[in-house]
Amino acid sequence: MSVETADPPMAPPDVDRGPGLSGYFMVRIAFCVAVAALCLLPFLMVIAISFGEKVEGAGWHFAFDLTNYRRFFVGADWPNSTSTLYLQKLGWSIYYAVIASVIAVVSAFPFTYFLTRLTRKAQTLWLVFLLSSLSLSEVFIVMGWDILLSARSGLPMVFQETGLTQWLKDMGWFDTLRDWGLASPRNVKFKTSVFATVLTMSYLVWPYAVILLYPALSRLDPSLIEAARTMGARPWTVIRTVVIPSVKLALIGTVLLLFVFLLGTYVAVTVFAAPAQQTLAVSIYEAVRGATLNAPFGSAQAVVLLVTAVILLVIGQKLSTAGGKG
Amino acid sequence: MPDLVLSDIRKDFGAFRAVDRVDLTFAHGELTALLGPSGCGKTTLLRMIAGLEEPSGGTIRLGETDLTGTPPHARKFGMVFQNFALFPHLNVADNVCYALTIAGTPTARARARAGELLDLVQLADFGQRRIGELSGGQRQRVAIARALAQEPEVFLLDEPMSALDAKLREEMQVELRLLQQRLKITTIVVTHDQREAMTMADRIVVMSQGRCEQVGSPQEIYHRPANGFVASFIGRANFMSGRVRNGAVQVAGWTLQAVPAPAFIDGSQVTLALRPEKARLGADLPVGNRLPATVTFLRDVGATRDIHLDTPAGPMVVEEVTDRGTGLHVGAQTQVYLPPDALHLFPAEPVAA
Repeated sequence: MSVETADPPMAPPDVDRGPGLSGYFMVRIAFCVAVAALCLLPFLMVIAISFGEKVEGAGWHFAFDLTNYRRFFVGADWPNSTSTLYLQKLGWSIYYAVIASVIAVVSAFPFTYFLTRLTRKAQTLWLVFLLSSLSLSEVFIVMGWDILLSARSGLPMVFQETGLTQWLKDMGWFDTLRDWGLASPRNVKFKTSVFATVLTMSYLVWPYAVILLYPALSRLDPSLIEAARTMGARPWTVIRTVVIPSVKLALIGTVLLLFVFLLGTYVAVTVFAAPAQQTLAVSIYEAVRGATLNAPFGSAQAVVLLVTAVILLVIGQKLSTAGGKG
Repeated sequence: MPDLVLSDIRKDFGAFRAVDRVDLTFAHGELTALLGPSGCGKTTLLRMIAGLEEPSGGTIRLGETDLTGTPPHARKFGMVFQNFALFPHLNVADNVCYALTIAGTPTARARARAGELLDLVQLADFGQRRIGELSGGQRQRVAIARALAQEPEVFLLDEPMSALDAKLREEMQVELRLLQQRLKITTIVVTHDQREAMTMADRIVVMSQGRCEQVGSPQEIYHRPANGFVASFIGRANFMSGRVRNGAVQVAGWTLQAVPAPAFIDGSQVTLALRPEKARLGADLPVGNRLPATVTFLRDVGATRDIHLDTPAGPMVVEEVTDRGTGLHVGAQTQVYLPPDALHLFPAEPVAA
């Protein structure tokens, strides 16, 4: 997100730098300008537009107007009435992203730990497989899960046909599932649900979790584990008291990175989340390109999402360094 | 406390036999050094004793208890690793009382014990330091204190000095030996450094290619090496090949006497080994057991001087005390005397490395 603006190299006063060096200097300047234009400009535009004004039927024009932010936090009709609709969307964004990133990291951790204990060749094969799975687009993955979870073709049908649904009813657990919103009166149902949304989102980032945890776990000195074992630690105690504390920073870092990544999830949320539980990312898209067409308000929502991500990253960072000293 | 007994211990890694039928008894309270070149199986043997490797065959017993299949956490053997393996996320005191903490010892008691142990290794004021703030020697002391926290029945050290610089290494060897004698704990040290083994050990096990070549006190091993490998690995030795004839050895046409007289049948090929400091040069040499020699190189190393010679039996090095200088120069013709009681005879075989 940040752009390194290189300081101009300090020129010794009494040395003639020659045409070659100053040419090199110009290239560097041009490169910095290009990077600034490509990375920083769209970003600054979004911030600028978020203060803009929508013109009914004619797009928008630049202004300095806080209406969009007011609409986001307290509703368009404030102070007559207050609406927290967009704050709720932000809440859902954070909720899905936190749970999905934690699930991904918690499940990827044991996998990666055992992966680093395999032979070099097996590790390479697994990593290549996981890296290649990253080439699948979000749309493709969501389509797969959509089929897997849909009532007529997927898991619910399997539940029904194998008698699992009946068994759940007999055991009295079906009502619990209904309470959780995971069943209709007749069968289990995964769409739409928080469960399906979070599951798909954690599936999306799971390979990233493995790849981000892998370096820390493979660098973990095996003699630390052996030392703990000679001091009376059983396998689980070793993991709890040696492995996890040693890679704690990597664990927290991975959760934070996946969290920020998942804040922007679009396809999975539109397919699996109930309309009242959709996220800010979906709302931004609709404002910019979709039904509502309000670029200044979309930009304002995007800025709030960005600021939220930054605040949560800073908090996470503070927590991890504070924990590191304890 | 009972002795640690290894019987017929083997370890195969695929087709490679790392440890080959080792029988050893580690007497209670003794410090034994497993000494050998890298790849000789000494570390594998130590790891099997710790339970970190499973033997392919044989048994490990502590007194009446068979420990062969016991996992490391149930053995109560303290171990110091080559890189010390201190936990970077814990401070010094927490590292030392790790074994007590996970065993559920009350915090106050674990802390007190950590304090005692840090006192023992002269790091009393370092409890709150982080591992990253310690020097190599301090880390080693912490590793020793940590391994002793659970009052282990056997204390294992894997190349404990290899991460230290030369001067510190010698100090720590003496210090570790004094500590071990004070605690009277059965201790096994793996090392490839013969000076280290001789400084610390009650008993040395010389290993090569997965086998025990000789077991004995440092003096025994140095003065009565069991074979050519031990003679070459422990200290320095000149090697000559010869043939036994009438209770003496023919070397390059010269007859040498050895005491005790060789117990080989006439005509068998033998290897003779001689420590450089045992050979003598110059005038007033006893009669017999002499070879003509030409000085090829002189190497002054302070208190002693190495004199490289060319003899009919091949090149030879003689070490003499510098102040007893014989006034030799390169190219001088002289005679070298090989004392009969200093000549070690082994069946001729290639000297294994």
